[in-house]
Amino acid sequence: MTNEIAVSVRGLGLTYTTAIDRRPTLKGRVKSLGRGGKQTRVIHALDNVNLDVEYGQVLGVIGANGAGKSSLMRVIAGIIPPTQGRIEVFGSVSTLLALGVGFNPSMSGRANVVLGGLAAGMTRDQIEDHFQEIADFSELGDAIDAPMRTYSSGMFSRLAFSVAATVRPDILIVDEALSAGDAKFKEKSLNRIKELRSDDRALILVSHAMATLREMCNDIAWLHKGKLVQRGEPNATIDAYQEFLKVGKSAAIDEDV
Amino acid sequence: MSAPTQVYEPFRAGLPPLSRYVKSLWGRRAFISEFSKSELHEQHFDSVFGQLWLILNPLLLSGVYFLLIVIIRGSSDSTRYAHLTASLFLFYLISNSLVGGVKSITAGQRLILNTSFPRVMLPVSAVIIAIFKFLPTMAVFLVIKAILGLPFTWQMLWAIPVFLIAIFLALGLAITISCINVYFRDIASFLPYLTRTLLYLSPILYEASSLKPNLRAFEVFNPLFPLLESWSLSLVHGQAPRTSSLLAGLAWAVGIFLIGTYFFLSREREFAVRL
Repeated sequence: MTNEIAVSVRGLGLTYTTAIDRRPTLKGRVKSLGRGGKQTRVIHALDNVNLDVEYGQVLGVIGANGAGKSSLMRVIAGIIPPTQGRIEVFGSVSTLLALGVGFNPSMSGRANVVLGGLAAGMTRDQIEDHFQEIADFSELGDAIDAPMRTYSSGMFSRLAFSVAATVRPDILIVDEALSAGDAKFKEKSLNRIKELRSDDRALILVSHAMATLREMCNDIAWLHKGKLVQRGEPNATIDAYQEFLKVGKSAAIDEDV
Repeated sequence: MSAPTQVYEPFRAGLPPLSRYVKSLWGRRAFISEFSKSELHEQHFDSVFGQLWLILNPLLLSGVYFLLIVIIRGSSDSTRYAHLTASLFLFYLISNSLVGGVKSITAGQRLILNTSFPRVMLPVSAVIIAIFKFLPTMAVFLVIKAILGLPFTWQMLWAIPVFLIAIFLALGLAITISCINVYFRDIASFLPYLTRTLLYLSPILYEASSLKPNLRAFEVFNPLFPLLESWSLSLVHGQAPRTSSLLAGLAWAVGIFLIGTYFFLSREREFAVRL
């Protein structure tokens, strides 16, 4: 392991303000205009999180729904500015937060490979060089030239994953985006992520699939309600998390990716 | 340890490092062009004529006004008809930029929430789409002008700087309105009335020279007025536009562009939490 820092997160805090209009009525709006502004609620998505990720590390991020996992990923990727603290990133970051970002359903699969690749920050040449690889990996065959709105959801996510997995960044952030296609394709995409593990790359994976994380990661961070609860060796951390959830090693959280 | 390539700190209103911003925008030019093409493609995806609509739209539009001016009003003044089509086509460049720009940020939610890129790309792409739609209309206009037998002169080349100023103005307006729409969604509903008002306030259905002097004084507040006046003078009448009109148009365009871009760039890091 080279032990070079890839991402350094210091004292990170993130708060949102959301409007709470339980029943948005015209009367309510007029009233609140008179009172000056809408009623709002402040949500503490992340609270004083400190986290270092080194090159060569595969960090799994776990936690219940609403723990702040996706918010943390977005802040590291520079999509959302933090409310407090400082994040330093040493290298190029690519995000796989959702599949098919930038895709346009009225265009053919072929055109969308270009669109999606460019959206992910690849150059035209890189996309052209990898086009065959992407098309083969997605197993779409002739359907690659059909408009994407004719695709089944499985075909859509297969192509989207194939494009995303071709990007070769220094730091890759994957947020539950691995559940593409059927069991066979899942296995294949998992293997692709495994291939991406290397000493000069840092991977951050958000997932609820504990079995996958145990297999893939060499480090786990457990978030709960915006706070970093535990960080450390995968098996120990995941055991503690599952103990906490009081569900133990059940099939429900083990199987899906 | 080398210096970090990116540092993210709490949001403060203020401009991001500009040279870096422009560089990253330039680095995305291939994406901007593909993105614009696919959006344009999508607009006529389901229709039988498809991309032919780019030509059909201006043809039908000029056909409607042909009906109005030449057939119903019985005017045989071919200059008037040429003035109307030319002005209308330039007006649509601006109004298409506004209409496409207003929702560019809110409609790009998926892109914004999942990737980090210069957000100004989205309204810029709305203007590019408007330009794609504008270029075929120019071909239609030149054919109309030739059929009407109006003179082609070198002075018509003045239309090129006017067009460039118009693009600048369109960019400024699209960037401004897309940013306003993030904070005040109601602007999208006001927009049709805004563009219609602009249409009637601008010298399109009438000639700038035929305007009463007291109304004319009022037109300094219309950013489109000097542009459309110069446009019609050069392209339709084949005369050099007045320098004062060109400068006024340029001042409006630069002013709106600078203010809008400042407003946009200083807020754009916050867009993701506002969507």
